[in-house]
Amino acid sequence: MLRMRPSATDPVVQAGAPRAATAARVLVIEDEAETAEHMREALAAAGCVPDLAHDGPTGLERALAEPYDVLIVDRMLPGLDGLSLVGRLRDAGVHTPILFVTAMGAVADRVEGLQGGGDDYLVKPFSFAELNARVAALARRSPTPPRERTVLQCADLALDRLERTAERGGQAISLLPLEYKLLEYLMLHAGQIVTRAMLLEKVWGFHFDPRTNIVETHLSRLRAKVDPPGAPPLIATVRGAGYVIRPPA
Amino acid sequence: MTRALDQDAEASGARGLDRLSRNTGMRLAAIQIVIVILAFTLAGYLAQAAISRLDRDTMREHMLGEIASLRDEVVQKGRAHLPYTVAKRTRLWRGFDYRLATPDGRLEAGRLPPAAIGWTEVSGVPARTGAERHRFLVYTERLADGSSLSVGRDLAESAKEMRAVNRALFLCGALGAAFCLAASLAFNIQAWRRIAQVARSARRVSAGRLDVRTPVRAGPPRDDLDDLALTFNTMLDRIGALIDQLRQVTTDVAHDMRTPLTRLRHKIERLRGTLAADSPEERAVARLDDDVGEILRTFDALLQLSEISRQTPPEAVMDLASAATHVAEAFRPDIEASGRRLEVACAPAAAAADPTLIAQVCANLLENALRHTPTGTLIRLETSTGESGSHLRVLDDGPGVPAEAREAALKPFVRLETSRTTEGSGLGLSIVAAIAQRSGARVVLGDAGPGLMVDLVFPPAPPPSDQAV
Repeated sequence: MLRMRPSATDPVVQAGAPRAATAARVLVIEDEAETAEHMREALAAAGCVPDLAHDGPTGLERALAEPYDVLIVDRMLPGLDGLSLVGRLRDAGVHTPILFVTAMGAVADRVEGLQGGGDDYLVKPFSFAELNARVAALARRSPTPPRERTVLQCADLALDRLERTAERGGQAISLLPLEYKLLEYLMLHAGQIVTRAMLLEKVWGFHFDPRTNIVETHLSRLRAKVDPPGAPPLIATVRGAGYVIRPPA
Repeated sequence: MTRALDQDAEASGARGLDRLSRNTGMRLAAIQIVIVILAFTLAGYLAQAAISRLDRDTMREHMLGEIASLRDEVVQKGRAHLPYTVAKRTRLWRGFDYRLATPDGRLEAGRLPPAAIGWTEVSGVPARTGAERHRFLVYTERLADGSSLSVGRDLAESAKEMRAVNRALFLCGALGAAFCLAASLAFNIQAWRRIAQVARSARRVSAGRLDVRTPVRAGPPRDDLDDLALTFNTMLDRIGALIDQLRQVTTDVAHDMRTPLTRLRHKIERLRGTLAADSPEERAVARLDDDVGEILRTFDALLQLSEISRQTPPEAVMDLASAATHVAEAFRPDIEASGRRLEVACAPAAAAADPTLIAQVCANLLENALRHTPTGTLIRLETSTGESGSHLRVLDDGPGVPAEAREAALKPFVRLETSRTTEGSGLGLSIVAAIAQRSGARVVLGDAGPGLMVDLVFPPAPPPSDQAV
């Protein structure tokens, strides 16, 4: 559940408009027909080209046969469970990014899924915004591994990952360690929507949902530093979805 | 070998004596030994009394014989010769001491001190050793001329004999007791070890290690302890099967509930997408979405409760301080924006726990403090290492929780009267309690004087490996 509280001054944009330069091909392997259909619609609305498979063996066959950008795999599938399916794909040399969607939300299950070859893990019931943001993050992975990108740039904002410093328009920005991590994550996904849950997981390492607005509070502090009054804002709140950092339109 | 086993071994060394005293077999052995000692003491006492009575009788007979022989001497050789005979018998010493005194009491011969007529006991210096004073049994007779003749027997001589008897009895008693102890140990230690093995397995199982089984001896001669071990293992198999069944039910429920909830959520989201932003309809659907979100939160929390309680206890050691500091810093802006203050005092504290779950514990406790205290409250997050183990504490100086309500506060869905109107599922503290229990920690709700103190006490752990959140 997302509880955004955009303040009056925050730049707010509407989600939903396709932003992908090239449409990502996504295979959804999900046995529950209605959920699969909803996911297909949501992904199509976000500009992806989704395919559906309703059981493990079919999913495996199609994933091996066609080049997809992202695979969405349910953990519990008839015929062949999700974990084994991913294991077989990886054994066959297929390294397509995989997003597990599952009803099994325990920490142990999550760890098992990620160690079993999954790239990300989404617990049911998720929102479409969450699904799209995760798929986008996996599909638009930069060809350069994130580790090797030492300077991140967005308009006149630059982040030096070796020096751990940030500056905007030549003006140094003083960041607390956590604000640095937050900005780094946003900039690694520049132009992509990152959700509250993604920030909690990837920046804080929290696999639970705090009831307090810790993401919102920290983000508004970061925003005050990154987007000073007068400068065109770079960090935007995407209504009902999350946040995005991108050059001003 | 696992850390838990090492700890067990250590503990058994430290508490060995204490355990020995609590062991049934050893208690039985101790009782047997006491009975043997008492029996020998009583036997010794009775024997001594009997021997001593016999001895006195013999002694008196001999003394009467001796005095009769002296009387014969007087008859045969005359009274004048008596001092010579007494002096000679004193010198030659045949086991008796003497005294011959004139009618006015002057000593004529012998060394015994004066004694009344008949049987008496006096103390004097024995003729033979001539050193310290001994007790003597004396028989004194008045002769025809009015002089007195005493024959005495040194009682120390018979005491010496009695001591020899006592020594023999004591030796027998000690040997008997030692034999009892050795026999008990031989019979008990084996049984004791096997019972301890069952107890150790039971402890580890109750700490969540359901795969542990008690070793059962190979070989056909099966005794009652083998039966106990087998029964215990059978019980564990049964419990394991029940838990697996429960786990399956939980997974099924999760799947069956989450699927329709996913559909519901997606339908709401699609409906919302068709409505104009910020229209009254869109806002109503948004509230609907919030309500579904609330249901899902409670559902997730419940599911998590059951998931935590079936997880294997963590074995990796972490530093509670780093997890606590990390969470505190995440929450600090919100806590401060709410008009409350946050103090963090985290000293290194090692515990065998899961960093992700400890982060959740800290978050739940801080949110709990944030939700149930008035503005201006000071919230304190502490970690420390004490004698009883590592502590993770959250304290506040708010209104606190009355002592009688504290235990209930840890139960699922319990919300205290004052907070019934505030949001929250009432599962936050139950999840804290479940996570604590799984890590072998105790949760103590106490008085922070004023305010509430929630104290998690983790059992002592070896120094942390380099792990953080």
